[in-house]
Amino acid sequence: MVNLTVDNKQVTVPKDATIYDAAKSAGIKIPILCHDKKLHPFGGCRMCLVEVEQMKGRLIPACTTPVTEGMIVRTSNDEIVKARKLVLELLLLKHPIDCPVCDAAGDCDLQNLTYEYKVNCNQFVDEKFNHEIDYVNPIIERDMNRCILCGKCARICDEIVSYGAYSVINRGLEAKIGTEFDGPLNCEFCGSCVSVCPVGALISRPFKFQARWWALSKTKTVCSYCGTGCQLTLGCKDNKVLTTVYDEDQGFHNGQLCHRGRFAYQFVNSDKRLTTPLIRKNGKLVESSWDEALALVTERLTQAKAAPASLAALSTAHLTNEELFLFEKLFRGTLGTDNIDHSAGFAHAALTEGLKASFGTVASPSEILDIQKSNLLLVIKTDAYETHPVIGFEINLGVKRKGVDLRIVSDKRGKLGKLPGAQTTVHTPGSELLLLNALAKVIIDAGLADAAAPGLSELKAALAEVSLEKAAAATGVSADEIAKLAKDYAAAEKALILLPIGLGYPGHNAALAEACANLAILTGKYGKEGTGLLVMGEKNNSQGAADLGIHPKASGLNGSAIIDACISGQVKTLFVAGENPVVSYPNRAKVEKALEAVDFLVVADLFLTETAQLADVVLPAVSFAEKSGTFTSVGRKLQQVKQAVKPVGLAKSDFEILNTLNAALGGQKYLNQSELFAEIAANVPAYAGLSQAALGDEGKLLPVAPSAKLVPVAAQAAAPVAGKLALVTGSALYHSGTMSRFGEGPMLVCPNAYAELSAADAKVLKIEDGDAITVKSDTGSVSVTAKVGYRLPQGVVFAPYHFGEGSINAVTDGKAVTWVTVGK
Amino acid sequence: MIMPLLKGLQITFSHMFKKPVTLQYPTERPAIKPNFRGLHVLNVSHDRAKCVACYLCPTVCPAKCITVEAGEDAKHDKFAAKYEIDMLRCIFCGYCVEACPVDAIRMSETFELANYTRADFTFTKERLLEKK
Ligand code: SF4
Ligand code: SF4
Ligand code: SF4
Ligand code: SF4
Ligand code: SF4
Repeated sequence: MVNLTVDNKQVTVPKDATIYDAAKSAGIKIPILCHDKKLHPFGGCRMCLVEVEQMKGRLIPACTTPVTEGMIVRTSNDEIVKARKLVLELLLLKHPIDCPVCDAAGDCDLQNLTYEYKVNCNQFVDEKFNHEIDYVNPIIERDMNRCILCGKCARICDEIVSYGAYSVINRGLEAKIGTEFDGPLNCEFCGSCVSVCPVGALISRPFKFQARWWALSKTKTVCSYCGTGCQLTLGCKDNKVLTTVYDEDQGFHNGQLCHRGRFAYQFVNSDKRLTTPLIRKNGKLVESSWDEALALVTERLTQAKAAPASLAALSTAHLTNEELFLFEKLFRGTLGTDNIDHSAGFAHAALTEGLKASFGTVASPSEILDIQKSNLLLVIKTDAYETHPVIGFEINLGVKRKGVDLRIVSDKRGKLGKLPGAQTTVHTPGSELLLLNALAKVIIDAGLADAAAPGLSELKAALAEVSLEKAAAATGVSADEIAKLAKDYAAAEKALILLPIGLGYPGHNAALAEACANLAILTGKYGKEGTGLLVMGEKNNSQGAADLGIHPKASGLNGSAIIDACISGQVKTLFVAGENPVVSYPNRAKVEKALEAVDFLVVADLFLTETAQLADVVLPAVSFAEKSGTFTSVGRKLQQVKQAVKPVGLAKSDFEILNTLNAALGGQKYLNQSELFAEIAANVPAYAGLSQAALGDEGKLLPVAPSAKLVPVAAQAAAPVAGKLALVTGSALYHSGTMSRFGEGPMLVCPNAYAELSAADAKVLKIEDGDAITVKSDTGSVSVTAKVGYRLPQGVVFAPYHFGEGSINAVTDGKAVTWVTVGK
Repeated sequence: MIMPLLKGLQITFSHMFKKPVTLQYPTERPAIKPNFRGLHVLNVSHDRAKCVACYLCPTVCPAKCITVEAGEDAKHDKFAAKYEIDMLRCIFCGYCVEACPVDAIRMSETFELANYTRADFTFTKERLLEKK
């Protein structure tokens, strides 16, 4: 620690702090334009000049100067103010000062400082810039005339996003922030650059001219897309969510968001939202009142109560913990059925079955913050970046700032593999288990295994048959590479495994989670900082759904089995809360047949989804912005969701819907959702002793007590089918689940279903980028757009699953790999 | 006792020989002073309203009676897609004129704003535009 004096205040700060940090910790504000706490110090704008007693004679930039013992700093005097005014005058010389039409006004650092320092005339004269404004890309308007060259956009895109879309081009007065060949921007559209731009040079086009910054009411809540659980601030006006507001102090991610979080909020106030209940009459869905709809649902559920086995319920993991708990109470408690599930069953099995078997808990023994604290990261599938982009930023930071050794085991290459020093082990599709078993085998054979690991002898016996050569042949990875990876993993002081799961990844099941856990347990790399296994649930509340037991517990049917049982006639009444199985569950034709076969189908959703269109009763539910409650994110962080706007139309929250039904069917009636949280805290061990109020803005990390056990898993490679390509599904960067289709950003950037092919296959099949192609399997066929790239190995096709039209589940059937033919 | 009464009568008498101040409105019209704050007018330049929908006037308006909605035109520029003043709530303070950074709004000499229905007091952009 270093002691210094800032404006006569004694400050003690760590020795790597700068003068700026020291002043900040003493509550003294030094003006800055180019500094951001997330980025490396830059020292470009010269606004933060201060006087240091020991370095008299010149002014010192506070943001780049490290503190030294006994420093005496003065942050403001006449000379400093004069210098800062000069900086502002020089900036304003070229700046267009078109505040009346600039969206940044009110939240513009340049405007605020100009006002604060009373810069109302300029001693210089010059012409303004005349740069062309980039209106080509649909997301970010780039007006370089307003740019003050602080470099924050280029730095954040490089340092944190690791995309590198910008750099300063040209020199001197001509200098400006440019893109590749000074062309239009085409990037990940995460909006990080927009959020840090101190002026209005970069603005969000979906929000352009929608409202003034000061007219927005700001509500802190949690993103409702993926499981990362990013905190965000919704900017609302007139009961509409108009934008997301950047707050650098929010969450572990310091306000960073991905494309979905930043630009896909429009689903909340979409015109397509359901505003009244619908009842099927004479084959058509017609508007009805809540009373009529709920009376009908109550009547049918009462009938079903007599034969609980004929009743099933599917939920989405987008609901709050409170709603999920009530969902379980209604169906398992009041109605007595065990046929309840979410995410088709397989998309949470890694947690509910895999981790349960390996660690005795349904939650990961690691948290997101472990990523940067680790020495070696083993990422199963490069898709971890696409499914959870902000966790991807953590990986970027870990690799680039903390020197984390990044290893990726994947069936395709991807962005993560481009990080410095990252090594991607590309295996044949569907052979993850074989590869992980082989890694375990190497660790055991090399004597690197912890002899006290529980279940070691069973695992040894089970792996006795595994041979490195055979595994190498089946996985397409050389024996040396497997051996090296295993040894490096075992040798790392701290190693963490990341496993994304979700509806797009049927292969990421319980067995894969167990195989991953085996590595961690074998080498004793769990239960300590920077180690363990992080299973990354797909949806914002996947972890909550696992914690609260939204899956069959005894003899009940899981998601996929419910679909089968609908066809066989066993399930006659099906309640679907927010899930869209028609698009997201494997085998679309089968799911559609099942939903048509079922006698009575109730769907509660925000939109008339492909699933809701088949329903007998559709209940309009509300989005995360219209309700309060809690979500549990990846790494067990429990966070508060706060209502920002009133529900649209007559829509009601799932809490209200389920509460009314539960009371009508003889269950308990709750006054509000927080009463349910109290019950969760009383019944679910991990949530014991918590209250919503105690969560605050930060949220709470739920405790976990892993009791490890090695679980042998049988592995079989997906046998290649001659003349066919291996189709693997997954997530696209701009989308999450099937809801992002109702957000503006994702649909502007990535509107259509596509399938990605390797350049080699495309050449053989004479397919070019953008061609309409047909993907055919034994299950069915679908037409999508071709995307040709260098990411995929020959023989592999990748397709994201989010789209309703051209949905890839028309050809898949719940296997990790689907063998397909592709043609024009 | 009688003196104050006489003083009063004296004033009354003196006024009998002065010009009356009452105007025979509407036959007689008042002369309007230069700083008068009457009905708002949206200034026009190059055949379009000068207003750039900066939202400063609705922000400053103490009566909160101005509604602006910005739009993006074909050249990606900002314009007021909607500009409305609820004249029933306006207190004619003139802050909106003062706040406008582009001299897009002024207050005219029109003071006869009586009307029959509430809706008629909502002055839309079309009604406010300067008539040349
Ligand atoms: S949106 Fe994201 S990826 Fe694109 S330039 Fe900005 S920071 Fe980089
Ligand atoms: S565009 Fe914005 S963030 Fe980028 S250099 Fe210019 S002012 Fe800074
Ligand atoms: S989608 Fe996931 S990563 Fe993106 S902002 Fe939301 S929670 Fe964060
Ligand atoms: S005159 Fe005053 S009250 Fe009337 S619209 Fe303008 S600011 Fe509002
Ligand atoms: S202040 Fe002037 S430019 Fe701004 S909205 Fe009002 S009238 Fe239009």
